[in-house]
Order: sequence, then structure tokens, then C-alpha cells
Amino acid sequence: MPSPIETDAVIIGAGPVGLFQVFELGLLEIKAHVIDALPIIGGQCMELYPDKPIYDIPALPVCTGKELTDNLLKQIEPFDAQFHLGQEVSMVTQRADSRFDIHTSANQHFISKTVFIAAGVGAFQPRLVPLDGIDRFDGTQVFYRVKDPEQFIGKNMVICGGGDSALDWALYFADKVKQLTLIHRRDDIKAAPNSVAKMRELCDAGKIQLRIGQLAGFESKDDRLSELLVTGIDGTMSSVPCDVMLAFFGLSPKLGPIADWGLEIDRKQITVDTEKFQTSTPGIFAVGDINVYPGKKKLILSGFHEAALAAFAAAAYLSPEKTIQLQYTTTSTKLHKVLGVGNTE
Amino acid sequence: MTYVVTESCIRCKYTDCVDVCPVDCFREGPNFLVIDPDECIDCAVCVPECPVNAIYAEDDVPGDQQEFIKLNAELASSWTSITKSKGALPDADEWKDVKSKLSELAK
Repeated sequence: MPSPIETDAVIIGAGPVGLFQVFELGLLEIKAHVIDALPIIGGQCMELYPDKPIYDIPALPVCTGKELTDNLLKQIEPFDAQFHLGQEVSMVTQRADSRFDIHTSANQHFISKTVFIAAGVGAFQPRLVPLDGIDRFDGTQVFYRVKDPEQFIGKNMVICGGGDSALDWALYFADKVKQLTLIHRRDDIKAAPNSVAKMRELCDAGKIQLRIGQLAGFESKDDRLSELLVTGIDGTMSSVPCDVMLAFFGLSPKLGPIADWGLEIDRKQITVDTEKFQTSTPGIFAVGDINVYPGKKKLILSGFHEAALAAFAAAAYLSPEKTIQLQYTTTSTKLHKVLGVGNTE
Repeated sequence: MTYVVTESCIRCKYTDCVDVCPVDCFREGPNFLVIDPDECIDCAVCVPECPVNAIYAEDDVPGDQQEFIKLNAELASSWTSITKSKGALPDADEWKDVKSKLSELAK
């Protein structure tokens, strides 16, 4: 197990509000570690609407989810936050020394003086294969991500899904496996047009079998998954040989363990005050879509405001003896130094 | 506020919405789904999932669909929770473009 990371601030969630929390803490010279369940930075903005326009970010008449994320990353560059991606926070508990233990699904352990929960609507997790009992093959024959492509060579492979992940892997494995069947429930493959065209070519060449239909069941032999049953759109059932199944049904957010961290919750959201955006546990703050307070509006811009006030509250919590001055990035030489801009002598 | 399932869902029940709900607030009837307004956290993640565009924010529910706000609340209290998608009703595709089908709603 890696040794614990000791820090002043841990931010849970790398969506826009988590990223701006890095910025606001950075201006107050508090360094942060950021944890996210997704393997990429950007949260919902990247996972759900990377190319969709957002019209209500102040001073940006229009930007996409990806542009917003890229801009925020550029803005927080001076603060050198460390990201810990692809891992979900499982537990947050307060220690005897009043700091917090934060454990993740990747066995990483943080000891932090403050915690910022910017977890949006929860951690994104792969949607599971909708067949009862098939979970006993998880990790041996049923996979939600590809870690070691070599082990699948020469097998009867089934890929489920109609998005980019499904298509990318279908194109990758088409020449490398014994038989490749791509199953999607409807004839509305939503991957990059280029990939779809290539996939159709490979279907015509007999390298990929495309089945449109619903997964209806599976067969096993000697406790090994051997076949998948598919109901076609015409209602007929057919079977597909399957040694290995890759399932890409997309990701969906789950609030999951947050409810068990002992924080005061209202309708599955974390209650905070509107002065500090602090939870019922001093030192733990909640910002963005995850929190609730009278008048709460789930807007990115509200999350930005919350992050600013939470940062000031955290600074006061970390150094109660200090008076925290509000300074402006336009005029403060101290902030210029922190940001690494202008004449910093 | 809450999100509301409207008429388009009746006799289709694709159930795509169910998987993405972070708080498991969908309730299932024989041929229709509803959102429990006491559980919904207004995240809107389900809206683009519905292949027949049945889900609206309470404030956006079209004029001729207003009664579904009350119907969702009523039916949610007696129907059971559905947390995993299970495939549409067999004849969903025949019903998806039918506009007026409230009379088909099975409670």
C-alpha cells in the first residue's frame, strides 16, 4: 500500500467546480490534491456534454464542456494541483488529531486538514450488463475496461455498446480475435462518423458481425461463459459464441458512499451554510451540484461562487490566528507572485 | 422542483433513464415510468437518455402534459423502485410515435 499523502486540502471531484476550487485555494496559497472516479479531468462537462454549448458562464457567451474544462485547467496551471484519477473516494473519517483520513478505491490514503466535496451528482461508474447472474464472470470473461488487450487475442469476443469506446475497441480487435461480434440495442451507433464507416467496412469484409438487438441471456459451460443470447429487433432469438465480453454501456453517476460519511444530508444532497459552504462537519466543505441550501440553483456559476467562499473559510479554519485579506488579482503584487504573472520582483 | 415523465413513455418504457439516475428515483408501473418528486435532485442527467423525449423539468412540461406532474407524484407513492434498465416493452417501437395515449396508461 502506498504511504499516505499528507496535505492541507483534498478536493473530491475534478469537474468545473472542483477545478475552480483549486484556483481559489491556490490564491490563498493552499495546495490541493484532486481525486476523481473518471480517468479524465472535467467531470460531467467531459463525460456527458463535451461538445454541447454552455451559454451561462459569465463573460463566455458560449463555450463547450471541453472548452470550459480546458480553460479552467489553464487557469489553475500556476497552482500545480496533483490529480488522482480513476479512483473513487470510499471513505472520509475524522482522525483524533482532527484531520481527515480519505481512502480511495485505488488504495490511496490521504491525510488532509480540509476536504472539499465537489462531487456533482456522484462518481461515474460503468453501467453493468443487464443480465442477472452474469456478474460472476466479472474480471475473468466480462470486462468494463481493457487493461491488457493481449489476453483477448484469438478469442471469441463480443463487444456491447454503440459509442466511441465500443467502436474503438471493435476496430482494434477486428483482426486480432477469432470472431468479433458487436451488439448494440438499436441501429443508432453514436460513435465518430469515421469509426462507424470503418466498422461498416469491416462488417462487409466479414471481420465484424454486427447484431442489433437486446441482450436476453447467456449460456455457460463448466462454469465458463460460453454464449450470449440476443433478441433481434424482429423478436427472434439467436446465440453468439462468447469467451470474452467487453461491455461499454456508458457511465452513469451514483451518489453512492457519500451518504455514509456522517454528514448531514437532505434529499441525498449535502446541507451547507451559505457563509462558508461548510457541511455539518467543520473542515469539510461541499460545493457545486452536490450541496443544498435555501435557494440553491445547480448552476456552474453558483459553484464558482461557492468555491471562492469555501476557500476563504478554509483559510480561516487552517490558520485561525491569521486575518485573511481579500486581495484583487488586478492589483495585488502578492497574488501576481502566486499566479506567476507580471513584474513579480 | 422535480423532473417529470410524460405521455411519450406510455406503452414504451425504454427504461434507459433508470440507469443514469444517481439517486434511483424512478418508479415502475406496468407500462409507464414515473419520477418520485421527493427523491429527484434535479440533475437532468436522465433527460437526454430518453429515446422518446418523455422527460421534462417541472417548469418545462408542455401545456398539454401538465396533468403528468400530479400523476408522477401520485403513482410514485404506490409503484415500486426500478434501479436497472431492463429493455423496452416488446411493442415499444410501434407506440413511440403515438401522441395521444394517456388512455393506455395501466395503473
